[in-house]
Amino acid sequence: MTLTIVTLLPGLQNTNGDAENATVLVRRAQWAGLDARVIAVDSRDDLPERVDAVVLGSGSDSSLEASRDALLTMHDELRVWGTEGIPILAVGTGWELLSWGIERADGSSLEGLGVLPGRAVPRGARVTGDLVVASSRFGLLVGFENHARDYVGAEGSPLGRVRSGSGNGRDGGQEGVVMGAVIGTHLHGPVLAKNPAFADQLLGMMAQRSGLEYAPGERAALVDGYAAAARDAQLGAARAAASVDDA
Amino acid sequence: MRYAPAILVGRLTRFAARLRKPGGGSAVPGLVVNRIAPGYMKRTLSGFPQGLVVVSGSSGKSTTTKMLVAILRAHSVDVFTNPSTANISQGLTSALLERADWQGRVPGEVAVLEMDEGHGALVMQGVDARVVALTNVMVDQIDRFHDSEMVAGMLGRIAARAHEAIVVNADDAYLERLAAKAGPDVAVHRFGVSAEVLARSPRGLGYTETSTTRLGEGSGIVVASVDGASALLHDGAASVDVRLPARGTHYAVDAAAAYATAKAVLGERFSPVTAADALSAIPAVFGRGERVRVRGQEVEFVLVQNPASYQLNVDSIEPGTEQILFAIGSDVRDPSYFWPTDASSLGRVAIVSGSKAPEAALMLAYDGVEIDRVEPDLGRALDEFLAAPEPKHGLKTIVFSADAMRRTRAHLGLTGAE
Repeated sequence: MTLTIVTLLPGLQNTNGDAENATVLVRRAQWAGLDARVIAVDSRDDLPERVDAVVLGSGSDSSLEASRDALLTMHDELRVWGTEGIPILAVGTGWELLSWGIERADGSSLEGLGVLPGRAVPRGARVTGDLVVASSRFGLLVGFENHARDYVGAEGSPLGRVRSGSGNGRDGGQEGVVMGAVIGTHLHGPVLAKNPAFADQLLGMMAQRSGLEYAPGERAALVDGYAAAARDAQLGAARAAASVDDA
Repeated sequence: MRYAPAILVGRLTRFAARLRKPGGGSAVPGLVVNRIAPGYMKRTLSGFPQGLVVVSGSSGKSTTTKMLVAILRAHSVDVFTNPSTANISQGLTSALLERADWQGRVPGEVAVLEMDEGHGALVMQGVDARVVALTNVMVDQIDRFHDSEMVAGMLGRIAARAHEAIVVNADDAYLERLAAKAGPDVAVHRFGVSAEVLARSPRGLGYTETSTTRLGEGSGIVVASVDGASALLHDGAASVDVRLPARGTHYAVDAAAAYATAKAVLGERFSPVTAADALSAIPAVFGRGERVRVRGQEVEFVLVQNPASYQLNVDSIEPGTEQILFAIGSDVRDPSYFWPTDASSLGRVAIVSGSKAPEAALMLAYDGVEIDRVEPDLGRALDEFLAAPEPKHGLKTIVFSADAMRRTRAHLGLTGAE
């Protein structure tokens, strides 16, 4: 039995390396002695028969419409995966496309797939920087954010509380949205590598659905040491920034 | 006479800066002159008798500029150019001041400037260029340029200043779209690679969007083939052999860009033989695939600046190279956008260092690279790396980001640290 992780639209939606989270899941599964593979899906025809997890990264604003149209061809599948408890990690504009829709600064809007509650709304200026989020389910999440829009309507089930950074914005102090195993977040880049506990939770769900056992492998312990050092460095920087803000 | 007072103040500032930091160059004199004589840079740039040539783009502009200057000088043209570290406004004015007489006049028949794609659009306001050459559009450090549309927009504003010709990379779809918008009086010259060269680059050329078709023979300067550190350029019916400053298709593309631009600048005076000789005589480029003798041993320096150059340079490291030091500094604030690259060909890295060492180690580990140790202190990492016995296979190789490169050169007492 091979765990199959689908990366959706890696050509259009991998600006910040978010699609690499699929590889992170595969590597960790392999280190745990499980068979796993990544399947890149650019259109419905590429979909494998069985899907154990889905990663959808962030792209450039100019490709929003093309990406949305490609995702629409897989609308039913996305709904079914969400209902069945298959983990879906959607980052940045990938998350926005799964929402009710995206409102642009010029007043126009783009309808989303409505898989996740809430919608993306314009913010004053793009925010880039460290983002630290305390999540009751996934632990202390550390990463980067880089987005030009806020997110409203996720207040009922956010991913966690913002410790440092902007997150969903509008001074709500919240970040991301979670519906069952479908997760939307601004934490871009290899968030699952930087936050191994988050990755292992998703792998645990995948394994359980497939009747497998997942326990992190030996190599994971070594590699997670690098992640811990990177997290510490970033938490130190975020704390320093926070203390300047407080002053 | 108009700028004499400003030039004097700039000179004095430079003198003061040198007293404070002996031997150091500084952007401060430029800053001062730009403040007290805001028109100086524009007037001077527009005042060269044979005009101004600007080279910009995401990647390869330094190499292309150096190659272009070498070709023009080989044709006995007196060229003013800027050092690649001075490609933004203050640095550019400082570079002009270095060469200016007391009235602010800068000698030279033609100016060839490497222009930062971000600052170029601003610097070029009100400045007319004869020829603008554009290398490519790639995603740069994510903190700076959020997407390729933005980079293309900035390059478009620089290209709009050309009144005689623009020279574009035909393999870059963004640049081809820019070329399509050129005015009726502006000639468009092209360079690009052959289908064979593209096919032999399994990861492509690194451009954000590669054109679907290749440049036809006779439609521009075509890189027909690349073999290690040599390349064959086709210029219409002529075949031109050039030796490159290091292995790599991107150097061949830079050479084609410089060749095409020199041809546009020189017109009838251009000689393919002189151009080929000038290109072949260029020494290894600073910091990229550069071989240096340090502490009694040969060391190879490999500079990585963006994901595309990272991939190309990592791929060009001889497989099986035994001793690699990998150092990423604070200039890479968020390494996320490097993750789509693949460094698995490195196999094993002896030391990962720099202020972003843990981030770099994490990325390499997920690429399947074995890491012997992580030592964030770059000085200590360098000392230990160089003290280790010579490798049996390959050269000691140091892969670094620009910030880590500066610190490495300073630590080893190499010139050109800044």
